[in-house]
Order: sequence, then C-alpha cells, then structure tokens
Amino acid sequence: MTPIIETRGLVKSYDDQLAVAGIDMVVGPGEIFGLVGPNGAGKTTTMKILATLLAPTAGEALVCGIGVTENPIEVRRRIGYMPDFYGVYDDLRVWEYLDFFARCYRVPAARRTAMIGELLEIVGLADKRDAYVEALSRGMRQRLCLAHTLVHDPQLLILDEPASGLDPRARVEMREILRELRGMGKTILVSSHILPELAELCTSVGIIDRGMLLKAGSLEEIERSLRTTALLRIDLLGDGDAVAAAVERLGTMAGVTSVMEVHMPDSQPARLEVGFDGDSAGQARLLAALVAEGHRVSGFSQATSGLEELFLQVTGHDDEEAA
Amino acid sequence: MTTSALPVRRASLARDFGASVATILSRELRGRFRGRRAFVVLTIYLAVLALIAYGAYTVQAPHARSLAGGVTDPSGSSTVLTMANASASIGQAIFSLLSVFQLLLVAFITPAFTAGAISLEREKQTLDLLVTTPMRPGAIVVGKLLAALAFMFLMILAAIPVSALVLMYGGATIDDILRQQLILFVTAVGFGVIGVFFSALVRRTQAATVLTYSTVLILVIGTLLAWRFWTQIATNDASNQFAEIRRAPEQLLWINPAVAMIEVVANTELEYGDFTGVMQSIRGDSVTIFPSPVPDKPTGVTTLGGGGPAVISGPIDCPPNARCALPGPAIVQPELVSSHFLLRFVTSFAVLSLVLTLAAMRLVVPAGMRFVFRRRRRAASGAASAEGSPSVQELDA
Repeated sequence: MTPIIETRGLVKSYDDQLAVAGIDMVVGPGEIFGLVGPNGAGKTTTMKILATLLAPTAGEALVCGIGVTENPIEVRRRIGYMPDFYGVYDDLRVWEYLDFFARCYRVPAARRTAMIGELLEIVGLADKRDAYVEALSRGMRQRLCLAHTLVHDPQLLILDEPASGLDPRARVEMREILRELRGMGKTILVSSHILPELAELCTSVGIIDRGMLLKAGSLEEIERSLRTTALLRIDLLGDGDAVAAAVERLGTMAGVTSVMEVHMPDSQPARLEVGFDGDSAGQARLLAALVAEGHRVSGFSQATSGLEELFLQVTGHDDEEAA
Repeated sequence: MTTSALPVRRASLARDFGASVATILSRELRGRFRGRRAFVVLTIYLAVLALIAYGAYTVQAPHARSLAGGVTDPSGSSTVLTMANASASIGQAIFSLLSVFQLLLVAFITPAFTAGAISLEREKQTLDLLVTTPMRPGAIVVGKLLAALAFMFLMILAAIPVSALVLMYGGATIDDILRQQLILFVTAVGFGVIGVFFSALVRRTQAATVLTYSTVLILVIGTLLAWRFWTQIATNDASNQFAEIRRAPEQLLWINPAVAMIEVVANTELEYGDFTGVMQSIRGDSVTIFPSPVPDKPTGVTTLGGGGPAVISGPIDCPPNARCALPGPAIVQPELVSSHFLLRFVTSFAVLSLVLTLAAMRLVVPAGMRFVFRRRRRAASGAASAEGSPSVQELDA
C-alpha cells in the first residue's frame, strides 16, 4: 500500500542555515504521527514542505505517492493543512467561512450545507453557525480552522501545533476532536513541543531536533530501542537502619545505576531515587525482590514520564538551549 | 495524451479557473458590500459629481447667455443656431469638468481599493490557507482584482446618468461619452492591476499603497512634467539657432490617462479652448485644427469670442467628426485626429495590465515554491549529498 507520507533525504536550507537536514520518514494510512521537538527543530518547515508551501532544497517528499513539487495542486486536494500561525476572515460568518473553503475545493453546492453542519458538529461549533468569525474565542477559532481542513474530506491532515496558545480546557477539547478524527480513519501528522499532549494520541512518534529525525516509531519501540534509564521513586517506611539496609541492597541489584536518598533523614516515608536501566519487567522484578525481603515499600513510581525522559535523552539538550 | 483529450482538459481547466475566480469574488464582495460603507461611498461619489456638474452649469450659463444674445450673424438668419451653440457651450463645460474630475476620482480611489488585495491576506496570515487549496494562484489574483474593480465599475456606471446630462444641452455626443467611459474603465483596470501587483510584491499594505499612489502620480503627472521639461530643454538647446520647438517623444504620454481624456475633451470644444491648446502643444504642427479638407468657399466666417483661431461655419459638407446636425450653416468644430492618444493609451494600458497581472500571479505562488514548479526530480543526487550534511557532525560533537 502506498504510504500517505514519504520523505527521502529531505533537506531545506535558508541561506546557510539548515532547517531540515535530511529527513526520511514514512507514515502509513490511518496513522497518527506525532512530530515532537523543541522550537526551531524543523517541525514547521517539514510540515510546510508537505503542505506545498515550501520547496525542499534537496530530497523528495511524497504525499499519497505524489511529489509535492511535481504536482502541488494534486497534493493540495489530498491534504488539510492547519498552520501554526494563521488568520481568519473575520468579516465572514462561521458557515460562510467554511462554505468559502468548500468552494475553494470545489465541493458541490448540494453537499456543502449538510457537510458544514456535520463539521460544525464535530468541532463543537454547531451553535455558532451564524456568528461572525470575529466574535469567536481563540479556542473556537482554532477549532474552526481545524474544521476548514476537513471540508474536502482529505486523506491527510497536517496540523502544526493545533493546541498552541490554548488554555487547558480548550486543549482537552482539541484532543478529543483529534481522537474523533482518528476514529474516522484520517491519517494525521501533528506536531507539538509539549510531549504528554501527544503521547496518548499518537500511533507513532518522530523525535526531531536540529533538522534531523532522531527516532521514529511507536512509543514502545522507541523506548525499547533506547533501553531507557528510568528514574524510579521508591518510598520506604521504617527507621534509619531499615532504609540504609534497603539502600545497600538496592545498590547490589541488577540494573540499578544509582541510589540516592532525597528526603530529610528522619522523614516518613523515606524517599529514594533510583536510576534503573531496564524495561518494565525489570522494574517489577526489582519491586518484588524488595517486598520479598521485607522492605516496607509504600510507593513505587517512575519519576519522569516516559516520553519526556526519552526526549531529553534523544535530543541530549534542553528546550531552552535550542530556542 | 490523445488529441481528443486535450481540448477536454483545457475546458475543465478553464472551468476550474472560472469557478475559483467566482469563489474569491463572492467572498470578497460579501465582505466589501456588507454593511453601509459601500452605499455611503457610492452616494458621496455621485453627490460630488452632481455638484461638479451643477458648478459647471452655474459658471457657464451667464457666458452662454451673453453668447446667445450678443452675436451678430452676417446672414441674420440663424438665431436658432446661436441658441444651440450657447446651449452646447454649457454642455461642453459640464462634459469637460466631469471628465477631468471623474478621472481624478478614479485615479484616487482605485489604489485604495486594490493595494491591500494580497498584502492584507499576508498580514492577516490567511494567504497560506488560501494557497494550500487547489485553486490556481492566477485565479486568486484575478478574483481579488475583479472584486476590487467591481465596486469601482459600479461607481463609474452609476455616474453615467450624470454624464448623460450633457446630452440635454448638446456640446458632446454619445460617442464622446463612450470615449470618456472607456478611458475611465481602462484607467480603473490599469490602476487596479498596479495596486494588486504591488500588493503581491511587497509584504506590507502600507508600502504597497505608497508604491501604487506613487506610480499613479508618475503616470498622470510625472509623464506630463517630464515631457514638458524635456521639450523645454531640447528647445533651449544652444544648437537650436532658430528656436524651433523640439518636442519630446509623445510616446511618454501614451500611458497617461489624463492626456487621453484631454484629447477626448478637446474634441468637443466648440472653439480653440484650453484642452485644444494642450493637445496642440503636445501634437504640434501635425495637428489639424481646421476641418480637413477646409471647405473651398466658406459661406460665412463667424468669430466666437476672441483669441483663438476662427471657427469656420460652412455649408453642410461635414467631415465625419464634426457636429453638424442642424440644417444651414453649422459650426464645424476644430478637428484633432480624434482618437490618436485614446487608442494608444488603451493599447498600452491593456499591455501593462496584462503583464502586471501575470507578474502578480507568479508572486502569489508561495515564496518557497516560486521557481521550482518545473524542476523535475533531482531527488536521488540531492538525497545523497544531504547525507553528509554538516549538522550531522555538529550534533555528535
């Protein structure tokens, strides 16, 4: 089956600056592919190339097997693109706005009215049908823009930071809509610099930094391939001696790279942070061993969320540094 | 592709283009005509023109009255004719003033309507959404241009009844009014295209507006001034021993709508008037002020007013361009080659509009895609060179 997105050695340079430095990526039908990376990593540039707004300096980008520079018009028929920054025609009413874009894609007049109703239903703006776009809140505009990407029932949605600048509630709403679109079988390429936002939504993730796709695949695949050193947080009950014994015991266990007591010596429970090199099964074994040896474990958790840890590990530097 | 498929494909392309233009047009018109603004602007425009027509009448009427009463006609038989001439002088005054003011208004208003066409979309960041639709960039430009011009056209058309007042008095024919309207339309299109072009060229609407008005000024006033100075300098040249007038090339003035309009007005002047004077100074000796061929034996020569050359009234042996509707001796109007500048202006503006529209179409294509549409796959070599890109080492370091 033809992949929906395929790039080969994609390069884009501005003057002497490389924005995208050779990205190879394949996204199959029905996938939700999350592009994750710090600001300036090349996410937007990659998406703009796929949306036929930028021509790559070198390499090739195909959407549904069609080259974006060879036949941009055909590519445009198959994608819905939501840029990271965009404006709306605020002198139009909500339905007129969608009607306008539907006409741009030459959706037959007979189908437009019903379709606009459905789209407004999906993005939760059904009651705003006759409102002026001007009067919509930011979150509503964002959802309207998302609706506009759907007017021609495209195979691929390219959404550049669809949740940026939204309050937590609007973010949740946006995520719910994306989930619904996933249910409709759309292929979605979505970018974000905030990781947890994407983690549960995406079928696969690409970590991008300095113009390079460092890792791509499902979250589990990436985790496995990295053999992550997770930071475990273990809470222990008991007096100083008991804790000291546990610390000593942990130090001898397989996979443990470091043990540190983080709380004040006499606090209850005592908290340990344990660097652990291994998968979830290894973590379970570790916990089982501790409990079996009579240590009173009252809490056992991972200190950082998987994706974030992954991300820092893969990119090897902080967000701030890149920005 | 088979030969039979080609016309079909062409037809569907044209249909697509038309549909896209209509889409843009309807969106733009929705915005432009919504609310009271369009109505108010149109009303003010018409009120100003009506006021100008009234002003021309007020100024010319006493003069015309004295004209009608004070002329001694040698043949003593044509009071009706003098009355008609007096009335025509009012019509002519209205026509010339309306022509000039309408042209000025069109030149002044059109850039304001069009200079934001593309740049506003850029500023409001809506252009990316538009160009990622399958619409051709050309259709976007044409749709925007037509939308901006639609209102201008409406204003020009709505003002035709004001110009038609002239027909009541005489002094200008329907032909003259049609020429006047043609110039107004062509000027609106040309200046509109200039506005859209600059709007596509520069990012900011403000800059586009300034550039458009500057260009309009250069075309309307700049070319005349340049022509004038050039002529002056050439005439004053030391080598010019006999002080003959050496005119600058008139091509400079082909792109000037004002000159074309002056020509149209000069063509309606009953005697040697200001507009005729301007035309004569531009066209020089080649101008035929008197009807050509001059009637062999004029039956009567009447001098209307002093100063200019005599106006000949002769037997009805009327050259095509003369006004001679009345029986008996008629005033034959000084004839210029009536559409010399008109034709050249319309042609040069048509070419200018076409070129700038095509240029604007190219400019609307997303900046990064502009020059790559026809570049075919060089991907293999490109990908290979990308592998060794410097940032790989940079990252490892």
